[in-house]
Amino acid sequence: MEELILELKEQIIKVLNLEEMTPEDIDTEAPLFGEDGLGLDSIDTLELIMLIEKNYGIKLASPAEGKTIFKSVATLADYVSKNRKK
Amino acid sequence: METQMVYRIADNIVSPLGVTTAENYQAVKAGGSALCRYDHRWQIPEPFTASLFTETQNRALATDGLTRFESLAYASAQRAIEAASIKARESNVVFILSTTKGNIELLEQSSGDDTHIYPGTAARHVAERLGITTQPITVCNACISGISAIILAMRLIEAGRYDYAVVCGADVQNKFTVSGFQSLKAVDENACRPFDIERLGLNLGEAAATIVLGRERPTADSWAIQQGAVRNDAFHISSPSKNGEGARLALSAVTKDADTGKLAFINAHGTATLFNDQMESVAIGRAALGTIPVNALKGYYGHTLGAAGILETILSMAAADDHTILGTRGFEERGVSGEILLSAANAATDKHCFVKMISGFGGGNGAILVGKAEDAKSSVEGKERRGEIGYTVRHRVSVTPSRAVVDGQSLDCQATGKALLTELYKRFVGDYPKYYKMDGLCRLGFVASELLLRAEGHRLETPREDCAVVFVNRSSSIVADKCYQTSIQDAENYYPSPAAFVYTLPNIVTGEIAIRSHYMGETSFYILPEKDNNTIDMLLNTAFQDKVTKHVIGGWIDYPNDEHFEAEIFLIEN
Repeated sequence: MEELILELKEQIIKVLNLEEMTPEDIDTEAPLFGEDGLGLDSIDTLELIMLIEKNYGIKLASPAEGKTIFKSVATLADYVSKNRKK
Repeated sequence: METQMVYRIADNIVSPLGVTTAENYQAVKAGGSALCRYDHRWQIPEPFTASLFTETQNRALATDGLTRFESLAYASAQRAIEAASIKARESNVVFILSTTKGNIELLEQSSGDDTHIYPGTAARHVAERLGITTQPITVCNACISGISAIILAMRLIEAGRYDYAVVCGADVQNKFTVSGFQSLKAVDENACRPFDIERLGLNLGEAAATIVLGRERPTADSWAIQQGAVRNDAFHISSPSKNGEGARLALSAVTKDADTGKLAFINAHGTATLFNDQMESVAIGRAALGTIPVNALKGYYGHTLGAAGILETILSMAAADDHTILGTRGFEERGVSGEILLSAANAATDKHCFVKMISGFGGGNGAILVGKAEDAKSSVEGKERRGEIGYTVRHRVSVTPSRAVVDGQSLDCQATGKALLTELYKRFVGDYPKYYKMDGLCRLGFVASELLLRAEGHRLETPREDCAVVFVNRSSSIVADKCYQTSIQDAENYYPSPAAFVYTLPNIVTGEIAIRSHYMGETSFYILPEKDNNTIDMLLNTAFQDKVTKHVIGGWIDYPNDEHFEAEIFLIEN
């Protein structure tokens, strides 16, 4: 799991162009969206949906599902580990 | 003080529905639309619906030596100038091009020099072909570009800079634009349904529309652009604010002195996205205009991007001349919370005045009040001619890859190139992690504006309508354009990036600053073929022709690549 968490953080930094951030800068448990933490928004949700489709073969039926999955890196890692197709 | 009006001399629309305003109006009045579903067009895997020129039409519009985009703009502008019977060569004529992506389809095959992709280059090509000798100005203000361009023309004429403005809005569609809007999940794969309960998103469209504006009133009942305003939501770069505050402010600014009883209709932006239409309905209600009929024209043309504001204004004039309120094609049942008056069918009106409103990425909202000269009289009585306004420079900041200078004092920095921007961010800002998500152009504008406000010493606690952001550059959003292009270039690895696409509109930087600094005034982005301080000064001055504007962050901000960039910006006030 630790490995997947690190991998996801690296991918998030890459797809969201968070240049100059390192995986250590992202708190695994902290909320990804909203005022605190990374402060991601609706466009980033779309980007993350694409990330899990591209890298893990997971296709979400609707962006609304993303809400719970993308709560934090921890919830994302949990979801990916259970649903990954590749 | 002399009262100045800006009149419509002539206009033209070139779209898949026709090559004159009359052909377009008749087609739309009869309920026609060029919206058509495309499967696998341009190797785009998902189907989409758009209003595109046919191959035959493209060939008929093509002009030797001009690109498809330039040919389209030229075709429309040339017809409008001919109808206006003005002498294009005279020094009192300016060409204003409104576009969001111009020649972006050249990017796919581009190597080396990017100059030919810059919108200012396209503007120069078209202006030269039209015989216009003055420096062309490109307005690149996302979806509101067309209205921003009309407002700019109005101000330049009012200020006595020019007697005539040829204002041409144009955009063509391609893999870049269509995949981008698809990546934002903002499109309906079938025909769009503005304001409808089942609306799913927008359709894109190709068109060019030109309005020739002038100081001289051609006939007693000529159309006049009476008022115009742009306001920013200062909320989000790609979502409108929930209460439509920016749109409300723009609507209120243009109708506050008008007799709203004389308004035939409000022509909304009505893109048929969930958020835009909902926001507009709320803004119209909050601006106390809920009793006036509303229509939207995207069901006929799709969203024609840089052409939209101009095309829809021209069509609205033609409709009012014909005592008609055009129906909203695609609309059946109201699906917005604001109780606005919509109809799918055409309706009759005997009024000659309307409001055109528009909103777009970067948080910008525009509105103009358009009326017949005799109606206009009462509403613009007392409107002063404003020529040389002049402003005071409070602070100036310049940032290049090798140094940052605030009010003449060079800052002591270690890093160079784009790392310099991050060093400046860490040392002088530090509390805005969104910085890391921004593209180079936004980082440059953001850091430079933060240095300006730091020099000023205090920041706004609450949002203010009298603070504006006005930038000018040459290379548009070329770095972001290339970044997005890489996400769609390879068919095997085709994953259009929404986060990258948003930054392919250069005016996003004005929105980022508006959000950060609570600036709800005008936000504008202009592009010139070359840096030219006189024109930059002229453009900054126009911001103060909006009487509300008191403070402007503005100037030159160009980011052609990570090794060459330049911000030379000012905090100015009148």
